Amino acid sequence: MEEHISNLVSADYTWCQFCPTFALVILAALLLLTDAFLPKLPKRSLAIVAALGCLGTAGYLIADSGAPLTLLGVIACGATALSIMLAFDYKKITCDSVAGGDCEEGTGEFYTLPLVACAGILCLLQARDLILLFVSLEVVTLSSYVLAGYFRRNQGSVEAGIKYLILGAMSTGLLVFGAAWYFGTTGSFLLSFDTVQRAISGGTAASNAVVGGFLMANALLFAGAFFKVGAVPMHLWIPDVYQGAPTPVSTFLAVASKTAGFAVLLILIAPWMPFIIPGITVARLFVTVFAVVAAATLLIGNLGALTQNNAKRLLGYSSIGQAGFILVFFITPSAATPVMTAGYLLAYALATTAVFYAIAMVRTQRGSEEIAAFRGLGKTNPRTAFLIVVALASLAGVPLTLGFIAKLNSFVVLVNSMSLWGNLLILLPIMILCAAAGFYYYFKIIRAMYWDAPRPEDSPLQVPPTTGIVLSLCAIGLIVLGTLPLLLNW
Amino acid sequence: MIPLAHYLILSGLLFSIGLAGIIIRKNILVVFMCLELMLTAANISLVAFSRAQGTAGLPVYDVQILSLFVTGIAAAEVAIGLALIVALFRARKTVESTALNTLKD
Repeated sequence: MEEHISNLVSADYTWCQFCPTFALVILAALLLLTDAFLPKLPKRSLAIVAALGCLGTAGYLIADSGAPLTLLGVIACGATALSIMLAFDYKKITCDSVAGGDCEEGTGEFYTLPLVACAGILCLLQARDLILLFVSLEVVTLSSYVLAGYFRRNQGSVEAGIKYLILGAMSTGLLVFGAAWYFGTTGSFLLSFDTVQRAISGGTAASNAVVGGFLMANALLFAGAFFKVGAVPMHLWIPDVYQGAPTPVSTFLAVASKTAGFAVLLILIAPWMPFIIPGITVARLFVTVFAVVAAATLLIGNLGALTQNNAKRLLGYSSIGQAGFILVFFITPSAATPVMTAGYLLAYALATTAVFYAIAMVRTQRGSEEIAAFRGLGKTNPRTAFLIVVALASLAGVPLTLGFIAKLNSFVVLVNSMSLWGNLLILLPIMILCAAAGFYYYFKIIRAMYWDAPRPEDSPLQVPPTTGIVLSLCAIGLIVLGTLPLLLNW
Repeated sequence: MIPLAHYLILSGLLFSIGLAGIIIRKNILVVFMCLELMLTAANISLVAFSRAQGTAGLPVYDVQILSLFVTGIAAAEVAIGLALIVALFRARKTVESTALNTLKD
């Protein structure tokens, strides 16, 4: 961790840090040009190249280094690749909602924009100052706005796009205003230990106004990051956008974009870590704010999900709830926070991607995203139903799945930090309640698959090869890593 | 010379007007203008701070670079936003935010 902090003191970037970013941007530009100059080329080839590019970058990042933030990059790249491949299975609906009928015209960007967003995420992971952080975050968000509103013939998608854009741009405004005050009170954009120390403990221009301005700046910056992860005061967009956006895009937002949000939070929080000890006034404030946000996120996400009937909306609330469990790591940040965040995100990413694949498959073939549309899958497609059960069980935190280990970690961190911050005990019953609520709402889908009888007109779903492979791999990953968690080296 | 505080008060006022407009106004175009107002307010703060923190009569250029980026990104946001508004208008024949009612609990 010391090494990590000392890196933060000077933000001298090297070109080769950004190689993966450049690679993805160049690939995206090439694909866009190909799409423009060879309109007859089937869009499938674009999707395949884009997904392979993302997977290749993920492989490069794994081989490159094991730093926790790089792990987030691997998750983001993998998730982008998977959402592009899902877009590929979702082609029928994409064509119908963009150009009408089976015409592929104008759908090329749908496969290349996720690449641009992914490049933004990779660039973001390298950011050690607010300028790069802001610009790369905006690259991610701007491409997500376009993707969310991409199905222009579908009212839900357009509405999701507008809602996302208004709330997203508002959070951008908060972030920039925060950046301005960050500079105004510290004289630097660097997110470093020294900068924070200078601002909160005196240094050159010690005064209450400077400390106050600096805290306000940080509050605004954290608000911007909370928007991306869907933490409570900034969570309003999540259910609407996940429900309205095209399913591949919801997958991207739920996994890759959320990973980006947690990366921003980790980068912003890194310089604060040494100050979060009892006895420092600011630390008390910091811990209180994060504890309140985590508790509110847990409650609203998990309790809001209870009454949902639309599977995508349910996953929206579930993603808020899961973010609450991750935020628990941030209440008392330590050197282990990035690794634990990455671990939790991995569990969340594998399970959520699998469920979104299942939703897309049901939507394409049964024409509905309601939970009721999963009826009787246990009878008609027993093997696929089992794989979906594994993913949902992991989200709920059933033992022997990776989701259980992730949730357990969250509880352990909370209990450990109670030795220094006794008041955090209040969070424990909230977390238990929310974990229990998870069992109710995730099992609604399982109940629909096994307890509801299929209707006579329901034929077995045809599982597209990509969906089959991805579902199996996610389920295997969740079970293997869940039974042998040491493989992950947490 | 105008003191820094005046710029900051102006920028704070613009920022609050923008934020209030986003919450209160129903017309999505006006909401977009308010979003731009928020970003502009942030830009005023940025440029004012870059002058105030500058040495030997020179401003801090890092900050002005950021304000250029903010302007560029705001423009991109507007382009995307107007495209979405056109799509919404085609579907609903209105740009009131009350028309955004397909997605709800």
